[in-house]
Amino acid sequence: MRAFLTIILCSVSVALAAQTGTPLITSQDLLDGLKDPTRWLTYGGDYNSQRHSPLTQVTPENVNQLTAQWTFQTGTTGSFQTTPLVVDGVLYVTGYNNNAWAVDARSGRQIWRYRREIPEDWKGCCGAVNRGFGVLGDRLFMTTIDAHLVALDMRTGGVLYDVEIIDYKAGYSATVAPLVVKDKVIVGVAGAEYGIRGFIDAYDAQTGKRAWRFYTVAKPGEPGGNTWPRGDAYLRGGGSIWVTGSYDPQQNLVFYGTGNPGPDYYSGAREGDNLYTASLVALNADTGELAWHYQFTPHDVHDWDSTQVPILADLTIGGQPRKVLMFANRNGFFYVLDRVTGKVIIAKPFVETTWAKEIGADGRPVILPGHLPDEDGEKTCPDLGGGTNFFSPAFNPATRLFYVTARETCATFYGYEQTFKQGQQYTGGATTRPRDQKNFGALRAIDPVTAQLKWEFRYTLGNTSSSGVLSTASGLVFAGDGEGNIMAFDGRTGKNLWHYQLGVPIRSTAGTTYMVDGRQYLLVPSGGALTAFALPQRP
Amino acid sequence: MTRIALLFLALNALLQAQETPAKNPAANNPHLGNPQSIRSGMALYRTRCADCHGLDAGGYRGPDLTAVLAGGATDERLFNTIRKGVPGTEMPPMTGDPDDDILMIIAYLRKIGTVPPSDSPGGNMDNGARLFTAQCASCHRVAGKGGRIGPDLTRIGISRSRSALLREIRTPSEWIPPAFETVSLVTKDGQRIRGIKKNEDVFSIQVMDTRERIQGYLKSDLKELVYEKTSLMPAFPASRLNDSDLNDLIGYLGTLRGADLTGK
Repeated sequence: MRAFLTIILCSVSVALAAQTGTPLITSQDLLDGLKDPTRWLTYGGDYNSQRHSPLTQVTPENVNQLTAQWTFQTGTTGSFQTTPLVVDGVLYVTGYNNNAWAVDARSGRQIWRYRREIPEDWKGCCGAVNRGFGVLGDRLFMTTIDAHLVALDMRTGGVLYDVEIIDYKAGYSATVAPLVVKDKVIVGVAGAEYGIRGFIDAYDAQTGKRAWRFYTVAKPGEPGGNTWPRGDAYLRGGGSIWVTGSYDPQQNLVFYGTGNPGPDYYSGAREGDNLYTASLVALNADTGELAWHYQFTPHDVHDWDSTQVPILADLTIGGQPRKVLMFANRNGFFYVLDRVTGKVIIAKPFVETTWAKEIGADGRPVILPGHLPDEDGEKTCPDLGGGTNFFSPAFNPATRLFYVTARETCATFYGYEQTFKQGQQYTGGATTRPRDQKNFGALRAIDPVTAQLKWEFRYTLGNTSSSGVLSTASGLVFAGDGEGNIMAFDGRTGKNLWHYQLGVPIRSTAGTTYMVDGRQYLLVPSGGALTAFALPQRP
Repeated sequence: MTRIALLFLALNALLQAQETPAKNPAANNPHLGNPQSIRSGMALYRTRCADCHGLDAGGYRGPDLTAVLAGGATDERLFNTIRKGVPGTEMPPMTGDPDDDILMIIAYLRKIGTVPPSDSPGGNMDNGARLFTAQCASCHRVAGKGGRIGPDLTRIGISRSRSALLREIRTPSEWIPPAFETVSLVTKDGQRIRGIKKNEDVFSIQVMDTRERIQGYLKSDLKELVYEKTSLMPAFPASRLNDSDLNDLIGYLGTLRGADLTGK
């Protein structure tokens, strides 16, 4: 009898816990984005990827009082490129070498840790980085550097499923933060420097079963396939997906920028436009069908992945309301596309560009001569790192300004024939920095209606930055330089208002902001540490 | 049965262990003399090596490779040097790169490296050492002795070509190494500081001044900050150091190839 009562009591308490425990994240929560400012539920903050928080406790007037509250040290090598998620006072963070943590957002204390072994023979171009979790229900989704998709229990970090996206031995890896749309988890693969054929996959969030796959490199005989040479060059055609896309629920379309064609620099291996590399693809979220595409850099030969973050917004341009997609591209041009038709509305350089005169009326760049890499080398601006890169921009819909970390750089590009060997780098060339070149980085504010520069804040000469940008409704912009500073700016004027030296430069994100117990926190990942800032507590 | 399996595994492991060390890939370089490999090797050389060793491999900041080859360096030694780098110098290791990339670079170097060195080392070492003590040692350190405002020259003999040394003595402002660029500051209280920039960000600058004091300054505390284009090292034109003395000095610098710092 006593045992029976105990069971009943346990059942009741479990049922109560289910009602009051860690909340379940629904598809509607994901659609609501940052409406609940205690949360940060998706890579770009919301499906528009604006990285614009509604929080206003920290203002241009008081930001100079921001103070470090705690630091969480991962104790691992390698730098964060992650955007932490925030749910119910807990941070969910992915890190280097297939590590992940749940961390108390108030104190920085670890709650659980997940770690997955990396195979000894795994090879990748750019480190075992990871850009973050996706979330749905009570589970987290993470890609792994050896190209698996893992679902973890939010409360314990326990593995719910671990499915192979593709065999890493063929040069594939995965670093992208999953985009969760309805019941699907959307991911992609990296590895264009290893002769892969890129794709975007959707998996059933519950079972881990693959729902659809879209190849970013078209096969000869299929639409877009005539932009590749005959034969099997497309099988090594690149087109990585390593930065998270955006989602328009009205059209039910996901938007992804795609990576460079492979081999990176040697033009002769892949005559043609090489669709759908260095492009923006708009896919039906349920089926993966291509709705439209726009190729930023046809036949790219400078390693200019278009894996930047597409920002969605509704703007009035020329008196007309337009549903747009804004994109600051690694090739040095800033684009505003009509996200219904895929047509170019505006495209202008936002850094020095020497390879194209302009983007023509047909949407194609007007190429300038002398920029095809060969064995003697050719100088082109920007360099392979691009006018900007994987680091997230931000958009403030109130000021209507697009904020981006820009890079002013040039490189000498060499291209040469290379024999492909599975599992080895396949770039067909390399680059050097001209001896007289002094690179620099800057935070730039662009008016997307005119593509004009509104203001800039220049970082130290000789170095660039890989920091993302964060905007808040109080009119602040946060970004980092190449020397380890996190900085706050007045979003309207670019005036620097606050800084803190973190010791390691920020990569990929400038941090996120969330509210816990009535306090607004700024959370900044840099190196192997997370640092949280807030205004001093009043006694 | 289990015991037999374990014994087999142990024997297998022993056999595998005996197979190491692995053969040096350069012992049988399939790219030597292959025109396509040599072309690829040239492109790799230009991107990975030419910045320091010169486009013609005749040396720039790094040693003259044509002289290294003419001096009898084997392909195995070249492979190991490229793969592992040279500790204590600016030569980095090529760790993640495929063997073939290194072998193609060697194939390219073998194609161009048959020219004998254009200048021979030598000179009066004693005179070179005297000149060094009189002219250089107040700023440059060798084996723990000398000044600190200029680069440490303990291993300069293996990290610079003769032509690079000549250029850097005659015209030191032509190329100034990182962390040795000249800056002048004036603080708000009127203090003037001249030195070399060790580090910098938007808000601060770190300097070694001419008295060898290392110190950081907040830019908001400075009245003036000037980035000078000339090196703190004075130029030594022929009127100041004649060709014969220069030859002796470079000869002496060529002998500086490291020091025993183990305290024995």
